[in-house]
Amino acid sequence: MSSQLVVEFKPKLLQSSEHELCPGCGHSVAFRVVLDVVEELDLKPVLLAGHGCYTQLMVQSDLDSLQCLHGRAPAAATGVKRMLPTTPVITLQGDGDMVTEGLHEILHAAARGEQFTALLFNNGVFGDTGGHLTATTVVGQRTKTSLEGRDPALHGYPLNIGQLLAQVEGAAYVARGAVNSAGMIARTQRMVRRALELQLEGAGFTFVEILTMCPTGWFVPTSEGPEYLEDAMITTFGIGELKAPPG
Amino acid sequence: MTTRLMQGSEAVAEAALAAGCRFFSGYPMTPFTELLENMGRKLPGAGGVCMNAASEIEAVNMTIGAAATGARVATGSCGQGLALMQEGIAELALNELPAVIFNMARGQQDYFQATRGGGWGDYRTITLAPRDVPEAVEHTQLLFYLADRYRTPVVLYGDYVIAHSTVGIDVQPIEFPATAPKDWALDGSMSGTGRARQIWTWALGKPNTPGPGPNGSWELIAEKYDQIGRAEARHEAYRTDDADVVLVSFGTTSVFVDSVVDELREDGVRVGSFRPITLWPFPGDALEQATRGCAHVLVYELNAGQLVDDVRMHAADRSVIRSIGGVSQDPSGMRQGDLLNADILRHRVRDALGLTPQGATS
Amino acid sequence: MTQREVLFTGVGGQGVQIASKALAMAALAEGRDVLLLPSYGGFMRGGKTNAGLTLGDGPLRALPVITSAWSAFVMDQAFWETVRPNLAAGAVVVVNSSLFSLEVEVPRAQVFAVPASDMATALGSPMSAAFLMLGAFAAVTGVVGVESVVGAMRQLVPAYREQHVAANARAIEAGAASVPTLAAPAWPDVAVRS
Repeated sequence: MSSQLVVEFKPKLLQSSEHELCPGCGHSVAFRVVLDVVEELDLKPVLLAGHGCYTQLMVQSDLDSLQCLHGRAPAAATGVKRMLPTTPVITLQGDGDMVTEGLHEILHAAARGEQFTALLFNNGVFGDTGGHLTATTVVGQRTKTSLEGRDPALHGYPLNIGQLLAQVEGAAYVARGAVNSAGMIARTQRMVRRALELQLEGAGFTFVEILTMCPTGWFVPTSEGPEYLEDAMITTFGIGELKAPPG
Repeated sequence: MTTRLMQGSEAVAEAALAAGCRFFSGYPMTPFTELLENMGRKLPGAGGVCMNAASEIEAVNMTIGAAATGARVATGSCGQGLALMQEGIAELALNELPAVIFNMARGQQDYFQATRGGGWGDYRTITLAPRDVPEAVEHTQLLFYLADRYRTPVVLYGDYVIAHSTVGIDVQPIEFPATAPKDWALDGSMSGTGRARQIWTWALGKPNTPGPGPNGSWELIAEKYDQIGRAEARHEAYRTDDADVVLVSFGTTSVFVDSVVDELREDGVRVGSFRPITLWPFPGDALEQATRGCAHVLVYELNAGQLVDDVRMHAADRSVIRSIGGVSQDPSGMRQGDLLNADILRHRVRDALGLTPQGATS
Repeated sequence: MTQREVLFTGVGGQGVQIASKALAMAALAEGRDVLLLPSYGGFMRGGKTNAGLTLGDGPLRALPVITSAWSAFVMDQAFWETVRPNLAAGAVVVVNSSLFSLEVEVPRAQVFAVPASDMATALGSPMSAAFLMLGAFAAVTGVVGVESVVGAMRQLVPAYREQHVAANARAIEAGAASVPTLAAPAWPDVAVRS
């Protein structure tokens, strides 16, 4: 086995590993999980990405890509997959994109049982515009539009999109993982693999939510991101498979 | 010849299929609904897909995805639904994705929407305004060709009358020149090759295949629309060669205008008519020529005055332009109203020319 | 009427925007007229972050896009090329030498190198580097008084960063102390200021 410096490693499915994400951002870890599964399963997918800090990951990727209007990737993915039923189709959105702007589109795509895999990188903030409140910001979380912390009396409660989708009959697989520890990363990788395998089997709509760190948006020191994710987001939303076919 | 009795919506659907349309999405709304129903009935048999979307926003975004795969695709609504699709139409244009957008309008109030667009950025849509069902059938096929030829969304400005008129018609496929292969289309085949494809309005490309970026891309797209503007304007001028008076209208209204032209000619009035067939690119040069030396340019449109703006921009003499139409909706609000009437039109023209009135009530 | 321009450049996250705002606020507090226009892209960190600030001792006749600036505030060399062509000959260029090691190719430039990132780290407050630079910039040019910079900083630091105010104030003083006072004065009427 040849050795290689960590700094020299680049996943095969990235054309460049030079990204401009903040130190401590979980998005690159989550995306690496996805790329590893795509490579492992030897897939040639079409990737559709929304608008957020993760959009640059689409750009860096060596995957046929369509950048979509905010919230609308599930609708565009419907068009792609209906035209290319045997091509693996993956959507990538943040919580602002999917759960805030695009709640209508994701629910309807799931209800119709559209045969693509929807990924949600959920860090509970609109990171790219400067760290604002989204539909998944947890109670107490400070953002630039909830400076004293999300207060249910003023801002209501976060939406648990995984829970909502798990109740939709057209959804075949709904899971939530995270990337704040090696164990979580491994578990999340299994979820992504299961989701894509089910897509290939034609099982229906598959969904994996991945909780990722955003220390910049959360106003926490970089090194405290993983712990904060555990304390704030995992306690609010939970981890695991919320819906899965038997076996 | 297989002439069949068909509703306009059905004939347009058949024309779309004849042109190779294999994806359609829409949300029911009068008077567009029958086009969605017809596409729903016919597309699966032709190997295509028709989606009853959960909103017009969803419909246009599904269409974006389908267009990205290289298929011939369409969506539509009436003006109220197209209002929701404006961002999507701009996105199609700035991604250079071909798509046909059907506005089965509730009347003539969507002229601005159809020509200026309510999206963002420097984009246009080639917009055709047929006057009747046979022309709508021809324009539908032409639009699928133009969309592919220029890689742009294009619009058919239909209306309640065209959608719902039932006529005997034979929908014949029209041959068009071949268009360039869609080497930009996404199907996953380039994933993992080091030269994966990307469709993004920011056009920055990927690290191995950098693009021109927003400035470069949008400049090229703007130049493309300039080129289309010079090449694709269409119009019809009727009896304008020796006319003192030119009546200007578009779409269904022009059928009424032309019937009045003939009647007035018999009364000795040297009148002709002009209609833009492409609302954009507006046939400005042709209008200028047709209105040279005219003492009256009378614009008859069923709205508060939209086409007249373009007439003012291009007519030979602005001072002789008058609007003689007006807002006109049926009490249901879903179709043209009382002004779609030859008697009223004739009366208004005679009134504008200072001639003795002959019948009519307003 | 004397008008002075400052072009700011750095990498997202280094404090360029807050530094430019602080300078504008300090100048306003001292009765100057100001016009500030930032220029940054869509990334929270790592991208280009620039600003153009015009200050005047009377009503400004300034364009928001500056092509012949009197000075530059350079936190990082990454986007120096977006600023260099827009500097006037003889410009006062204050650079963070911890992250800038290029030749300043501006005719007759007056360059002041401040190892701001290293100094701020040594003070135990790496995030105060931009304010440290601002203290140096103010001391060298007298464009505003150092105490005005401290005052502006107090107003600008958001409530959720309250804990950094004291460290920022220390950094501003340290920056001011590290450069020759009024070595390149901005205003004709400013001889010595404290």
